[in-house]
Amino acid sequence: MANIEKRHVIDRNKLSGEFYFNSILQEVYTCGLLGESDLENIHMQCISLLAYKSERYNMGESSSIKVETAENIMKSIFYTIGLYLKSLPDPDHAVVELKSGKISEIYETGRELIYNRFREAESNYKMVRRNKIETLNHSYNLTLSRSGIGLFFKSYNIEYEAHDIPASIDYQLCHPVNDLAGIEYIQKYLENLYLENEFCMNFETENIHHLLYGYDKGYPDLLINIFEQVLTAALGCSLANCNIRELNISQEDIQYLHDKLLKYDKYTLMLNLLKAAEDIFKELNITNRSLKKYIEKSLPKIAENIEIALKLNTLNKVFITPKNPDLEPKIQFQSGVKMDDEEYRRLIEELLQCRYSSDKLAIIKEKVKSFDDLEDLLIDAQLNEEEFISLFNTLGDIEIAAMIKRHPFESDFQALNISEAEQVLRLYLKNYVKKLPNNRQENIFRIAEQLL
Amino acid sequence: MNIFSSLVQKQAVDEILKCNDYTFRFGLALSYQNAIELIEMRTMSLKRYGRVEFGGGVINKIIKEFCDSPYISKHNYVETLHELIDIFYFYKNETLDLMSDDELIKFMKNSFDGKCQGSLELLSGRELDKMARNLRYGYEPDYSEDNEWEEEDEDGEY
Repeated sequence: MANIEKRHVIDRNKLSGEFYFNSILQEVYTCGLLGESDLENIHMQCISLLAYKSERYNMGESSSIKVETAENIMKSIFYTIGLYLKSLPDPDHAVVELKSGKISEIYETGRELIYNRFREAESNYKMVRRNKIETLNHSYNLTLSRSGIGLFFKSYNIEYEAHDIPASIDYQLCHPVNDLAGIEYIQKYLENLYLENEFCMNFETENIHHLLYGYDKGYPDLLINIFEQVLTAALGCSLANCNIRELNISQEDIQYLHDKLLKYDKYTLMLNLLKAAEDIFKELNITNRSLKKYIEKSLPKIAENIEIALKLNTLNKVFITPKNPDLEPKIQFQSGVKMDDEEYRRLIEELLQCRYSSDKLAIIKEKVKSFDDLEDLLIDAQLNEEEFISLFNTLGDIEIAAMIKRHPFESDFQALNISEAEQVLRLYLKNYVKKLPNNRQENIFRIAEQLL
Repeated sequence: MNIFSSLVQKQAVDEILKCNDYTFRFGLALSYQNAIELIEMRTMSLKRYGRVEFGGGVINKIIKEFCDSPYISKHNYVETLHELIDIFYFYKNETLDLMSDDELIKFMKNSFDGKCQGSLELLSGRELDKMARNLRYGYEPDYSEDNEWEEEDEDGEY
């Protein structure tokens, strides 16, 4: 009996969140609640309102307006009216309001509502900034900064662009905000982000950093959701009976989880995840109902990831083993003392005049004693590819790795602002490394990563 | 909607015809048919330049501003008005709506009677074009590089 619900003529599920006013008019017309003359009346009132707003937009100085501007103002009017109608208890009330009320009055009430919501969102933004987590992830930091969401509170135009979201929002939420616009979008986004932050605040910054570093070394530049990674790791810890707060799942734990989870069907897996979530609530002392709901809403997504990973035998991509970048072995490469500038100039002149490759190599071998000099020489001496290869052949893996570190050839994006000689060096180096045996290539890249 | 449109059109025609009381002293008058054609011209120009107009009254303003021009007579009155209406809406866009209706009409009249000496081609192709460019680059509407040179000459610096 507790589930008895009042029946409505208009199905709420058929209404769009973003274009509420348009969709309710369409539904109302389809259901026959409003006749053509009623609709025409609403239509005319909207046009009069648009005329009034356009005049105010032009400050009475111009009688005409660009079509795009007029369309934008109309969208803003529809959005404002829709926001008020949405705030009514149900769509049936909205129909009564549309039948009896004046559009301009409905609009005014909607405008006040938006204004209040704007104030609320402003304080929500301050709250989110207060419970912001410390992370190196750029998209997270930029989105929360004054030039991210902060921009919204400077640029939002309630009068003429209420439906717009003038903010730079790149950070991906675990539950993205769909089907909302304007102030509603910002409020929902901030609400979700606040809950995500509140959950992540239960963990040490360092533990989150190590977890994300284990996920990908380049995580500061990735568009990832931190909450989802942390929650998955916490669930993994709970399932593997590890310390939840540490977020530390070892390779053995993952193997244990693999064997354990493989036995479950979809339903049992979900039940186990729910139980693990309960453990997390207890361990972290989470009492906030909204946060609990938010976490529970995330579980199906995580369960799906686990199922796919179990099938593909890639559970280590779902449950991440944290990595501490400070504990990784590092190699410090020291080049010898560079030769005197005058001497170097004479060497380059000699090499440029030298006709035979073998002579050039002999001169280099005899005179160049430092890695830095060799590096400069490769750029200045205009050697051909064969000479490059001969020179590279004389180098060990560490020298080649140092060369790769200093002249990376993997990213084309970085190669835009470099000199022609540098581009040639990178190209020849790339060709050379590609031709090396696979195990030597792996060794070189591993050393390059460890080089400071 | 059709009844509404025809009512609006009738109102606009009446307003244009009322201008005849004012323009009569300059020997200029519009017929009922002329007024309808001017409204059609406005609708066409608005559509062509991607604009919408709610109030109206621009045609009346153009008529009242231009009727005392020495370059307008009853022989070219209607055609000139057609051209002026089209030029007006084109330059509303070109000036990025930075100029009010009254300012633009005033500028058009001054240039038409002054530098252009009644030439609509010069008005549209030279004076208004220059003014729109000035506005877009953040200068005053009547800014001219030649003026700057002249001023510098007067200062005796060059």
